[in-house]
Formats: sequence, C-alpha cells, structure tokens
Amino acid sequence: MKMRKKFLALALSGLMVFSLAACGGGGDSGDSKDAGEVNVYMWSDYMSQKMVDKFTEETGIKVNFSYMSTSEEATAKITSGGGEQYDLVMPCDADMTGLIKGGYLEEINLENIPNLKNLGDAYKNREFDPENKYAIPYFMNYVYVIYNEKTCPVEIDEYKDLLDPKLKGQIASVTGIRNLFPVALVSLGYDPNSTNDKEIKEAYEWLQKYVANVTLFDSDSAEKLIINGGASVGLFFDGQASRAFDAAENLKVAELKDAIQLGVDEFVIPKGAKNKENAEKFLNFILDAQNMADNMQDDHLYSCPNEAAVALMPDSYKKHPAIDIPTKMKENYFLQLDIGDAAKTYDKYWTMLMSEENQ
Amino acid sequence: MSENNAMTLAPKKSFLKRNLPVVSTAGPISIWMIIFVMLPLLYILFISFMSRDVYGNIEYTFTTDNYKEMIQPLYLKVIWKSLKLAFLTTVICLVVGYPLAYYIASKPSKLAAKLLMLVMIPYWTSSLVRLFSINQLGMPNGFLNLLLLKLGIVSEPVDFLFSDGIVIMGLLTAMLPFSVLPLYSSIEKLDKSLLEASKDLGANPAKTFIKVTIPLTMPGIVGCVLLVFIPSLGMYYVPEMLGGGKVMLIGTLIKNQFLMTKNWPFGASLAILLILITLAMMWIYTRVGKLDELEVG
Amino acid sequence: MAGEKRLSKRLRKKRLWGRVSNVYAFLVYLFIYVPIIVMVIYSFNDQKNNYYWNGFTTEWYEKLFTNSDLVGYLGISLIVAVAATIISVIIGTIGALGLVRFEFKLKSVISNSLYIPIVVPEVVLGISLLMLFEIANFPLGMTTMILSHATFCIPFVVIIMRGRIAGMDLSIEEASMDLGANRLITFFRVTLPLLIPGIMSGAFMSFTLSIDDVIISNFVAGPYATTLPVKILSMVKTGLSPEVNALTTLMVLVLLVGILINNAVQALLKKRALTNIKSYF
Repeated sequence: MKMRKKFLALALSGLMVFSLAACGGGGDSGDSKDAGEVNVYMWSDYMSQKMVDKFTEETGIKVNFSYMSTSEEATAKITSGGGEQYDLVMPCDADMTGLIKGGYLEEINLENIPNLKNLGDAYKNREFDPENKYAIPYFMNYVYVIYNEKTCPVEIDEYKDLLDPKLKGQIASVTGIRNLFPVALVSLGYDPNSTNDKEIKEAYEWLQKYVANVTLFDSDSAEKLIINGGASVGLFFDGQASRAFDAAENLKVAELKDAIQLGVDEFVIPKGAKNKENAEKFLNFILDAQNMADNMQDDHLYSCPNEAAVALMPDSYKKHPAIDIPTKMKENYFLQLDIGDAAKTYDKYWTMLMSEENQ
Repeated sequence: MSENNAMTLAPKKSFLKRNLPVVSTAGPISIWMIIFVMLPLLYILFISFMSRDVYGNIEYTFTTDNYKEMIQPLYLKVIWKSLKLAFLTTVICLVVGYPLAYYIASKPSKLAAKLLMLVMIPYWTSSLVRLFSINQLGMPNGFLNLLLLKLGIVSEPVDFLFSDGIVIMGLLTAMLPFSVLPLYSSIEKLDKSLLEASKDLGANPAKTFIKVTIPLTMPGIVGCVLLVFIPSLGMYYVPEMLGGGKVMLIGTLIKNQFLMTKNWPFGASLAILLILITLAMMWIYTRVGKLDELEVG
Repeated sequence: MAGEKRLSKRLRKKRLWGRVSNVYAFLVYLFIYVPIIVMVIYSFNDQKNNYYWNGFTTEWYEKLFTNSDLVGYLGISLIVAVAATIISVIIGTIGALGLVRFEFKLKSVISNSLYIPIVVPEVVLGISLLMLFEIANFPLGMTTMILSHATFCIPFVVIIMRGRIAGMDLSIEEASMDLGANRLITFFRVTLPLLIPGIMSGAFMSFTLSIDDVIISNFVAGPYATTLPVKILSMVKTGLSPEVNALTTLMVLVLLVGILINNAVQALLKKRALTNIKSYF
C-alpha cells in the first residue's frame, strides 16, 4: 500500500514534468499562429514601455521582448541558428559585416519604412550596408573620457594623457579588443581599424602602459567606481557617462583632440523570421520622430541617430552633459569596421595583454 | 504451469533478467549523456578541425592548424594559471568546507537538514547581484570602510577592491556549497561507533581523525575535489568580476574565441583541450587515489 | 576520585570543543551571508541604480507589488529549476546506482562524459546544445531550457550519489531479497531510504545550478522563456535597479520563513530516513 503510494507520487511528479515541458513547447510554437505579434531580442530597459504600448494600441500587434546579455551573444545566437525565433535582434554595427556576408539576415523592405528619412545622413547607406538593406540603427554610443575635476591629477585632452604614471590605479574603463585597440591606434596616429601587424603590435605596447593604470575593466558598470571615488578617470560609453553624471558631482567630459569611437545598436531581421512584416511596421513606428522623442524622454539618455527626433527633444536632454559634448568631438568619430583575418592577431595580443597583468 | 513456462522461455528470460538491472539503471543516463553531451561534443570536435573565414564564420575545410596554434607558451601559460587557481580553490574549499560539513552532519538530522538549507539559500539568489554586493561593500565609501573609519581603525578609506585576496574569497564563497554537499552526504553515513572504538583503543582525536575519519569519508572528499576542481577550471566569471576584469583564464580565452574574435574553430579546439586535460587529471587522480577500489567497495 | 576528575576534564574538553565548532560554523555562515545582508540593506536604497547609499525608501517593494515583470521571470526560473532538478535527481540517482554496481560496455565512456558539461565553459555547451536543437528541429523554449539545465545538473547528482553509494553495505539489500522482496520493492523500501541524504544534496545542488544559470539559458531559450538571471544580466547594461535586490530579499525571506514552517514536514521525512538508517546499524 505504502509502496504503491510512493510509486504514484513518483509517477505523478514525472507526469507533471512532462506536461510542463509539453506546455512550454506547445506555447512556443502555438502562439505565433495569429500573426499579430513581433518578437524582439534586445537589451532590457532600452525601450520605453509606453511607446511599445502605443504601438500595440495602434496596430494590434503584440510585442514580446527577450533579453540579451551582450551583443556578441546575440550575434552568436543568430549564427548558430537560433535567430529564426525572433523577428528583430539587436547586434552592434561591428558584427554586421560577418552577419551580412554569412547570409544570416533578411533583407528589409524599405518601402515599408518611409520614416527612414528621419535618420541622419551619416547613419544611412553605410559602408557595410550600402543599400541599407539589412540594418536600422536604434541608439548609438560614443566612447569618451570623463574625469573628476577634484581628484584627477592630470589634464586630459588626448588619449596619450591616460598613460601618465600619475594615473596608476585611477582609471575605470570599458573593455574588449574592439573598444581598446582603436584607442591606442588612434593615439599612435594609425587607422583605428588597422590590419597591419606592426601597427597592432605597437598598439599592444601602448595598451600595456594603459592597463597598468586601469583599476577596473567593465563595459557595463565601471562607472560605479568613478561615482564612488574609486577612480578619477573613466573611459566610458556615453550611457555609462550619463548615469555617472546623474549620480555624482564634479564630473566633466574631457575635450579630446583624438577621434572618438561611435558604436551603433542596430536592429536586424534574422533569416527565417516569422513576422517580417510586423517587424518592419515596428521599425517604421519607432523611426517616427515623435515616437522616438517620446521614447527617449522616458528616461533613456542615449545618443540617437534619429536627427528629426533629437530636434524635438527638450533641453534637459540636449543640454545633458553626457549628450552635449563639443560638436568638434562628435564630428571627429570613427566606426568599428571589419578587420578580417587580423582579428586573430588582435586576439593574440589581447590574450598577452590580459595574462601579463595580475602576475 | 508457471514452471513450465519458465522452462520453455528459459534462455531468453534469463538473458533479460540478467540485463534488466543494468538497462534500467544505467540505461537512462547513458541515453541522456549520448544525446545531450556526446552529440554536441561531436559537433565541437568537428568544428575544431575547421577554420575561420575572413568574416568570422566557419569555413568547412579540414585543417589541424588550430591544434598547432595552441601549443605555444602564451596559451600554455593561461592553462597553467587556470590549473593553479582551480587547485587553490579546491584546497581552500576542502579546508573550510570539511569542518562545516562535519559540524552539520554531527547534528540531529532534523537540524542538519535545516543547516544545510541555510548553506544553500544564499546560492538561490542571483550570483551577479551577490558579486555586486561584494563590490558595494568594498567601495571607498562602502559600509566596510565607513565602519573602519568610524571605529578609528583606519584614517582614510582602504582599497578593498580587485585584489587577489578578494578573488580568492569570492571563489571560496562561490564554490563552498560544491564542497559542503558531497562532504555532508558522505560524512553523514560515518559510523560513529568506529570513532568510539578508536578512542577506546587509546587513539587521540587527531589520530582518530587521520586514521579513521578521513579514510571513511574519502568518497565525500573525492566528490568535493571533483565538484570544486572541475568547474573552477572552466570558470571565469567570479575572477573577472572581482579581479577588475584583468584576468585571462582558459574559460575567458574560450569565451573570447566564440564571442569576441568569432574564431569558433580555435575556441572549439581549446574546449577539446580543456576536456582532455580534465580527463587526464581524472585519470591521474583515480590512479593515485585508488578511487576504483573505493567506488566498487 | 581520579576517574571522576578525568571524566569532568573530558567533559570540559568536549564542551570547549563544542563551543569552538559553534563559533566556527557561525563564522562560515556569516561569511556566506554577508553579501546577502548587503543586498538586503541596498534593497531599501533611495537611488535608481544602486551606486551608493542615498537614504531609506520602500519604493522598490511597492513597485515590485504593483508594477513589475520581475516576478513573472522568477516564476519561469522556478519552473525550469524544479523540473530540471526532478529530472536530474531521478536520472542521476538511478544512473549512479548503475554506474557503481554494474559493469557494461559503455561504462567508462559514460562516466567520463559526466565531466564534460562540468568543465566546458558555458558558452561552448550553450552553443553546441543550441546547434543540437536546431538540427533536430526542436522548437526553442521552456522544454529546451529544462533539458539543457538537466544536462549540466545530472553529472553533479551522479558524483554526489556515487560518494554516497560507495561503501554502502550490499548485504542488507540481499537480505531483503532473500526475504522475498523483489528488486523494485527492495529499491524503494531499502535502497532509496539509505540514499536520502545524498538525494537531498543532489537536489540542492541541481536547483542551485539551475536557478542561477544565465549563459546556457540565453542560448537555448525562445521568445517566451526569459529567466530571472537572464533579465538581471541584461539590466546591468542599462543600470541595475534596487528592485532586483528587493525581489531577492523577499525570496530569501520566504525561504527562511519556509524553513520554520516546513519543519513538521521535514522532520517527518527525515525521521523515516533516520529510522531506516538506525535499523541498519
């Protein structure tokens, strides 16, 4: 009797698992039958829920968000075949060439996206996508230097100043091969996307000195250090910088003579997406000047390629210290372009760089 | 009737009967491991012999370059460092975890279950938030410094962040349950009467511990070493977050190949190397520790 | 006289030993709870991104109860973790028995393959499992997540169970069978109760691994299956809000209260296991 009870319990729990599993599986494939939805894979808290609600209200299309932890991971998910689950994915511009050449993306039907005109000219028909068939920019980020007026021991107007030994243990910094090597290459007077072995080696030597000054490498939350007094200089994305400005005083943007990096978060439609037309409708909706302006006012302080929307923004945005950087700096930018086989060389030097430290 | 039946079906039935226990116990796990581990591993093995095309996608032409590439001091140094760190973590976890597991196992089972729960609860929260909390605590204006300043122990904030000590403490906190759980389940079945017997025979506690307790709980120690050492070998998350992002371990290296550099074939070959190292370590470990005897015992 | 003295000395020594071990245990517990305590304090922090202490507020708890999607993600995490734990405990426990007790052709291959999911960085396992599901044309979602989580939990269960089974006296099972019980009855009434502490450890371990997994979940999840850790990691990019701390605080609180309430159930289960073990000695 007891034995039977136990067995029953076991069988029941097993059954539960399977029905649960079946439920999960069924839900995934079943829900997409009614065409009224679009599945978006992007950062969390990177889009205003109000705007999304408005879109759903106007079109009846439901928007499902899934969240990625790095844009590289999003790219890897597309290239390993998991892209067709989504209708819109947000990799960054640096990964675009590989995605396009690998045939991982659907062509976007521009006839469905008249609002493309709202984008600044610099953000349309770019080198990796000359006919603008694959990628629609959403937000973008400059990488620049901010410092604490009170505690920073040196003046900074070019990248070379970051190598000053006085800054030892004073820098909080973004990380990654493609964020740091270009800084060194620009400082040395080379092409930021150089594929020349000798130049990359020199950049590596430059970075050796830089790494010695850095206390924290973190592309997501290194700003916490400059806010709490653990660092006096930060090489940050502007999103990090804007959070730092909002949370701490005495911070300033360094007016750099060197070119700064501009990264763009792109929306792409992965190959095999089930709701391509809805995705295009959604893209057109967010490219609308007023919609994008509303989106940005809802607590999203990022630089935006949608110039028509930026024009509609209030001064609290336009004059924000993290957004209102000198025009001369904004114009003097470079992009991450595909570096082909040189990626392996960079990687080797990066491994060297990171394994020397901390010995 | 039934005897008759048994007679006619004897050869077949005995074969099934002989194999039923094996199939019903080892069968499910074998199928599971073949489908969800061996098959994906075959794919990794396959691409480890391919190469990266210029755009970071996989080019399907056979090559052994990836394996030649990784035999150079740079990568061997990274592997050596990972091995050292994993070893250190294992030793610390064993030293800290054993007494705790012993303590828990010595309590009445009702209390022990609760104490074990108490060990586990912190780990059911997001490790990311926990690591953030450790960072917050050590900030120049964090609670630890505030406390020290208030008590007059220090005159200006101490830099607690991103030191080797913090990394090791972080690894200990991260891996502690992996040592306590196997140790507990093994110490729990320790026959206390044997310890009493040893004491009665005049052995002092230290001698009893070394000669009786440790050998009897060896399966738990083996489990602890396996469960701490192996995951530590491939782990990079904790050292990265607490070490200020300036570490290069084999885990980081492999992750970089798959995500940053998009050189999947090289990353795959490094993963294969990592697996081979692990299997080799296990082989040595079982030979030296004579685990076969233990497990059959 | 002398004997009494020696006895009291022994007793004092024992009491001292007990006190030392209590202090030790307390320190270790304190050590693993310090991050949790900090987390709880910062859940009342009046600052959007939780950079530094900026005053007391209960705003995040209010938000959690009124307008939050975090609870939903926690629900998905729990479903996945519980399902993965059940699967891995069942398959792992039975499998460990098979691997310890029997010899078969694939035995060494299977026992060695157990180490692979443990050592391989999660990125590799995540990508290769995703490839597997893609090739099998299996829709991504909760099911794939549960299967993947069970895959990296099973080895942990097996290793723990092997430690428990190793050295276990076979004679009691044989005795049970001699007395006429068949294998199944022997398993449920004799073997299983002996394994309870190991099963408990294995279940704790699986649940812990599953509930905190980010990277593998990220690769094998579909559009409707975001777990809490995945959401949290994505939030870091745009600033981690104390709401996460508030949710975690509540979780820990519920668990701690749960321990107290569930005492009765726990006691019952453990008692049964204990009496079985006692009768064995």
